[in-house]
Amino acid sequence: MTQVTGRDASMTSLQKGGSTDASVARGLLDREDLLRLLDRALAKRVTVISASPGSGKTSLLRAWAERSTDRRRVVFVSVDRDEQNAERFWRTVLEANRRPEHSLDPETQRELNAALDGDQLVARVVSQVAEQPEPVVLIIDDLHELKSADALAQLERLLATLPSSVRAVLSSRRDPPIRLHQLRLADEIAEIRAGDLRFTERETRQLLAASEITLSDAGVAALHQRTEGWAAGLRLAVISLSGHPDPERFVAEFSGTDRAVGEYLVAEMLERQPAEVQSMLLRTSLVDLLNSELADLLAGRSGSEQLLLELEDANAFVVSLDAQRTWFRYHQLLGDFLRLELRRTLADEVPDLHRRAARWFADHGFVVEAVRHTLAAGDRPDAARLVAEHSFKWVLDGQAGTIGAVLQAFPEGASADHPDLALAQAANELNQGRLEEAAAQLALAESQARNAPPARRRRLAVAIASLRLAMARRSGQFSEVIEQVNQLDASIADNPSDPISMSSELRGVALLNLGIVETWSGRLADAERHLSEGATLAHTIGRPFLEVACRAHLGFPSRLVSVAAARERGLHAIALAEQHGLEDRPILARAFGAVAGMAIWMGEFEEGERWLRRAWEVGQAHVEPAPALLLHLVTGMLHAGRGQQQSALEEFAAAEHSRSLLTGVHALAPRIAGRLATTQTRLGMLDEARATLGGFSGPHERMGAIYNARAVISMAEGDPAAAVDVLREVRDIPPVGPAFTLVEAHLLAGTAHLHLGDRSAAAGAAEAALAAAEPDRLIFPFAMTEAAELLDALPRHETSHGALRADILDLLRGADATSTDRQRLTQQDELSPSELRVLRYLPTNLTRPEIARELDVSANTVKTHIRSIYAKLGARDRSSAVRRARELRLLSASRS
Amino acid sequence: MPTAPGLYTIRIKGRVGATALSSFPAMASEMSGSETVLTGLLEDQSALFGVLAQIEALGLELLELRLIPARSTARESSYGHPSTGM
Repeated sequence: MTQVTGRDASMTSLQKGGSTDASVARGLLDREDLLRLLDRALAKRVTVISASPGSGKTSLLRAWAERSTDRRRVVFVSVDRDEQNAERFWRTVLEANRRPEHSLDPETQRELNAALDGDQLVARVVSQVAEQPEPVVLIIDDLHELKSADALAQLERLLATLPSSVRAVLSSRRDPPIRLHQLRLADEIAEIRAGDLRFTERETRQLLAASEITLSDAGVAALHQRTEGWAAGLRLAVISLSGHPDPERFVAEFSGTDRAVGEYLVAEMLERQPAEVQSMLLRTSLVDLLNSELADLLAGRSGSEQLLLELEDANAFVVSLDAQRTWFRYHQLLGDFLRLELRRTLADEVPDLHRRAARWFADHGFVVEAVRHTLAAGDRPDAARLVAEHSFKWVLDGQAGTIGAVLQAFPEGASADHPDLALAQAANELNQGRLEEAAAQLALAESQARNAPPARRRRLAVAIASLRLAMARRSGQFSEVIEQVNQLDASIADNPSDPISMSSELRGVALLNLGIVETWSGRLADAERHLSEGATLAHTIGRPFLEVACRAHLGFPSRLVSVAAARERGLHAIALAEQHGLEDRPILARAFGAVAGMAIWMGEFEEGERWLRRAWEVGQAHVEPAPALLLHLVTGMLHAGRGQQQSALEEFAAAEHSRSLLTGVHALAPRIAGRLATTQTRLGMLDEARATLGGFSGPHERMGAIYNARAVISMAEGDPAAAVDVLREVRDIPPVGPAFTLVEAHLLAGTAHLHLGDRSAAAGAAEAALAAAEPDRLIFPFAMTEAAELLDALPRHETSHGALRADILDLLRGADATSTDRQRLTQQDELSPSELRVLRYLPTNLTRPEIARELDVSANTVKTHIRSIYAKLGARDRSSAVRRARELRLLSASRS
Repeated sequence: MPTAPGLYTIRIKGRVGATALSSFPAMASEMSGSETVLTGLLEDQSALFGVLAQIEALGLELLELRLIPARSTARESSYGHPSTGM
């Protein structure tokens, strides 16, 4: 069938959802020999199809793909024109594998736009492909358009690592610049080249017959000879021949001319189209992809969809890109000729056509295309503004890389003339951690903004403030952050006419940055309020990255948040990130680091180490000073807790270095100095330790760690009395929130009392330490002090914290208080809260009725609970239940 | 890799028409039998590969590519301006 019957055929195939025997519906000749050739090639792991444009590579692949979907899963990827962005390419591959029918839906695209780098995306492709139940054939068409060296190198690695059940087909105009010698040595490569793709004379005859064109044998031979079996030439000829009054004459004229084949046939084909089709073809040729709406807009008439469908059915170089046949693109050869013709004959219209296309793309969320066409129209300031408007959203969605990609479309130095471009450039520099360059671009934007008209100046001021905020946050300048937030707030409040989404997003970003700086500067209650509000807002406006970023900073304990609760929040942020595929983002380093820190405080060193490893994995590349400080501190604590003082020293010193990069005062600064000095003391570096603490000042309530460290130095100097003295500064302050420094102070004081020979004061201090540690299960300080000796000084029957004491002694004797046992418990029946309450009395000498009285419940209830506890713990009696409960770490109260 | 401008001739199979020729603004064309000969001063290798890519894209058949050796004494004066072709 040809385009004469194309209309009906297309209607049929559309009514059947486009899934009819497409090779018939679209007037394609089934080239059985060629399809079998490809079938045979697929015995090898990689097939390379390399031939010049118009050789029929894509047609072959499409025909083959439509045939074989029953038996295998075919993943068909067409590389976008001049694709330079590795991440975008891999995302296309991922999406093609996921839901091919939605591959161009902007909504789906947004989901996919997480800022993973190419390597991470390739890893996903591999795992995605490996998960498929049926064998996968990955087809990459137009590979010559892939211009990213990274992507090509990644593709090379992908081919080497794909599971052996997977087949890859690479189709390209040129031999792809990929080293395939390993596969070649293993005889795992098949090649299909121009000679294989060429139509034979017999196929030429079949093609003509299938298109209901009657031609003499001599005519067929002449046509075949003139086109040299070139698929594009033959197909163009068929279009012109269909319904031609004198096919023989057409072939004779064609054979008689020495014009280049492609150009001659395109010209012939165009001439034979009605004027309206010609006009539509020319005017729509300047976009890389189009749907009927865009085509109508560019052509200035309606009904383009029908034309596009007919052209596709006639295989006239229009290709639909999705199963619903709503998106089309021109075959590149035709597209190139059409564009040349458009510029030659309708040059005046070209800028306006680009403008129309740009507007449409911008309205429909295809910003990169919009920018490209705006630039092509010569409207650089508008293109710059488009970038500025969207770069903010890209930052919000964590697709910082897109800004860099779009900026590449502009000529070098373009930001010198456009504040918007300077702003985007600044955001780009900031994302890469180049603060000075970012500041320079920002200053440039600011000086240009002064000359802008008032409305625009205000918008620029908002964008500048939001970038300044991010920069100030990065370097921890608290007052600067507050100032910028106020400026943003005022500007949002002053202009209720702003689109709601814009002001919500700005507000979300302001809250995030504010919350982060408040966290670092120890204003935890304010941080809690702002970050929670930011997270809720981000959730409401559908910005998962922003929500994750807010929640990642909520995992810090405070007077309102217990250590266990902080840990839960950290885990929640991580779970949320995983749900959105954001768990590899550097911003998650804070959540990982916080969870690790809490685990270490609770004595679970192995658990802490696991989270720390993930923290360093995501944070390594672009770690900011503030999170780097956190990670070094927590890593140092892990080493110190395990008695590895030298490694601990290095980490604490690194934490101190990160702190020095911050302009503002960091809440953890005293802890870092304290830990550093303590470790120095332990290593006999007393002078260095004194120097570390020397001149350290701050508000009294934040100096606990410093006093503790001074006490450690006093003890090393052989002056326990002085230690007891200085520790009073900490021990006399009632704790607010988790008693991190207080527990340590009690323990240090206890040890000092032992040295002074006051066993009763030592026992008192030990009991006070246990009491302070119990609510948050702060086991870590015991590992940091000479607690074993001290706890021995505290007879077991004298403490009301027996379970905690036993756990701590376990840890000090080398058993790690990891949560592996806890995890085992979650697989079992968990104890209910009332059972846990009863459990706590089992190690005591209290009888069941006495426990009942203590808990203010009936003796029968206690009996029921105890029976249930025995069953859940698999215990026969009270002592084995207690033993099992100890193993499972159930026997110490937790505050949460 | 030489980066100095060079005068190139490129032979293409068949007569190339106005549409296709409009994509080689830096080259002058003439017919030679049933071949088209494009001649022009190309700024550097990247300009040359640009022309080759265009030939490929339009499905033209490349027959020959030649750099005309420059006489070092007269290099400046004899080639004219690239945009005018000769």
